[in-house]
Amino acid sequence: MLEVRDLSKNFGGLRVSRHIHMALEKGERRVVLGPNGAGKTTLFNLLAGTLQPTSGEILLDGKPITNLNVEQRARRGLSRSYQKNNLFEGLTVGENLALAAATAQGRTFSCFSRAHESRAIRETVEEVAEMVGLSDRLDLGVAHASYGNRRQLEVGLALATKPKLLLMDEPTSGVGPGMIDAFHKLIATLPRELTIVIIEHDLDLGFDVADRITVLNYGEVVFEGTPEETKGSDVVREIYLGDWQGDA
Amino acid sequence: MFYQTPLKSVTVIVILAALALYAILGGYFAGEIVVEIAVLAILAISLDFVAGYGGMVSLCHGAIAGIGAYTFAGLTALAGFDGFTATLAALAATAAFGLVVGAVTANISGIFFIMATLAFGQMAYVVVFEWKALGGDDGMSGVSRYDFSAIGLNMNGSVEFALFCLLVVLIVYAVAAYVLRSSFGRTLIGVHSNEDRMRALGLSVWKHKAVAFSFSSLLAGSAGILAAQHTLFVSPELLVWTVSGEVLIVVILGGLGTLAGPIAGAALLVFLKQQVSDYTEHWHLVIGLFLIAAVMAGGRGVYGQVEHVLQRKARSDANA
Ligand SMILES: Nc1ncnc2c1ncn2[C@@H]1O[C@H](COP(=O)(O)OP(=O)(O)O)[C@@H](O)[C@H]1O
Ligand SMILES: [Mg+2]
Repeated sequence: MLEVRDLSKNFGGLRVSRHIHMALEKGERRVVLGPNGAGKTTLFNLLAGTLQPTSGEILLDGKPITNLNVEQRARRGLSRSYQKNNLFEGLTVGENLALAAATAQGRTFSCFSRAHESRAIRETVEEVAEMVGLSDRLDLGVAHASYGNRRQLEVGLALATKPKLLLMDEPTSGVGPGMIDAFHKLIATLPRELTIVIIEHDLDLGFDVADRITVLNYGEVVFEGTPEETKGSDVVREIYLGDWQGDA
Repeated sequence: MFYQTPLKSVTVIVILAALALYAILGGYFAGEIVVEIAVLAILAISLDFVAGYGGMVSLCHGAIAGIGAYTFAGLTALAGFDGFTATLAALAATAAFGLVVGAVTANISGIFFIMATLAFGQMAYVVVFEWKALGGDDGMSGVSRYDFSAIGLNMNGSVEFALFCLLVVLIVYAVAAYVLRSSFGRTLIGVHSNEDRMRALGLSVWKHKAVAFSFSSLLAGSAGILAAQHTLFVSPELLVWTVSGEVLIVVILGGLGTLAGPIAGAALLVFLKQQVSDYTEHWHLVIGLFLIAAVMAGGRGVYGQVEHVLQRKARSDANA
């Protein structure tokens, strides 16, 4: 479904991504682990087209997308949520979701129709709001929303496009255990054919939702395997200094 | 998002009705003032469309209106076309010019965008200034007003022309408001709010901006057509960049991103200019002080401040 071949990215002399190989099956849930600065977000920027790789190739459904720009990749069904909230300030939660849904459906150009008030879009908005737990917050201005609500909306915007491939960059960063739990459940309810890559710092959550795990360190894939294999891996234990052993 | 609120409707209708009354009762001089306000208001609405809702602060809207004025004047006075055909051609010309400006500047932001639009405006100014067939720096006379004699209207009457101009203001406002509520307008507001996210959602941002700028230019073109008919004369003065600057002042005075505010701003500026210039030649200074006060008071403009206060009150009432 998604294939990454020998992908590298240098910022001047800094080699942030090094010869990354990845292959994801359709419907796979892949968790990317790695310490701060390992190049996880950079990998997403390369996949989404925000950054151009120094070398290497990316294929979506067997077709190269390396030369496509951000919006072209989005139109191929790739959607992402950001580590740092990247919302439409000044609009309400509902308007944010409607904008995402209408844009993804290509309903952006008509001066004579009002997609945002149409039933199809309203249904998507309600459906996504339900999924991320914002149903009773639709009329809330984003500027007045709590951090947790903004985090939920960040994921909601990515979901509202009804993507084929969903990239989520630390979706639960900075939120409380209640919301991490809810996010857990959300992943389980997503359609099984949706392919998901999640960058996680919460190891337990990572192990729980992942089919396979990729571990990045210094821009390199240092390990790939099932959650079980990952828990037993020496190289991973070394990077995390046995971090999860205590609380697992 | 843009909503045609009751406050906006009431503001627009009250101002336009008051101006109509003033034109009817105030004699020739009042008619002149009302036309000046109307032309400025149309330009300000068109600028607010791109600046307030699209984040594209243009300094060439005066020049765009000038292109509309010259196209209309040239086709009617020189080539003998009727007013209707010339109007369509003038709107097409401004829309085309706006599309080029919009497409070229779509990936430029901030101060560089303003400078780029200024450069386009200056280019248009120079072309008109040098174009001998259009009268060069002397300008061109012989423009005639629309012929509505078939329905018993004499457009050469000061009151009739003023009322017609107010009608055009209303139409331009209604069209802009309609488009802002459409899928196109909502998308534009999304681009203004977060361009990168719109791209990540799959929007071809530059194309959207270019078309929005083109549409705004078309609206500005209608102001130029009225300006040409007002004085029956066009000159490169119309395209001087300070005209664009004045339009921007009007938008900020009235309220950037409010659509109704620019109409209030236009009336305010013209009346202020009229009053102050009776006492001093330095009316620019007074307008400048007004502008500084408007910016210092929160930058919402006269109408924007009213809207803000009422909305805050409505919210706290709803919470209580
Ligand atoms: N645009 C950039 N220019 C220069 N260096 C960058 C840029 N983006 C990221 N980096 C560097 O690349 C490294 C990896 O960053 P990032 O991908 O954000 O890591 P992670 O998401 O794994 O914490 C960091 O050292 C960061 O400073
Ligand atoms: Mg990161």
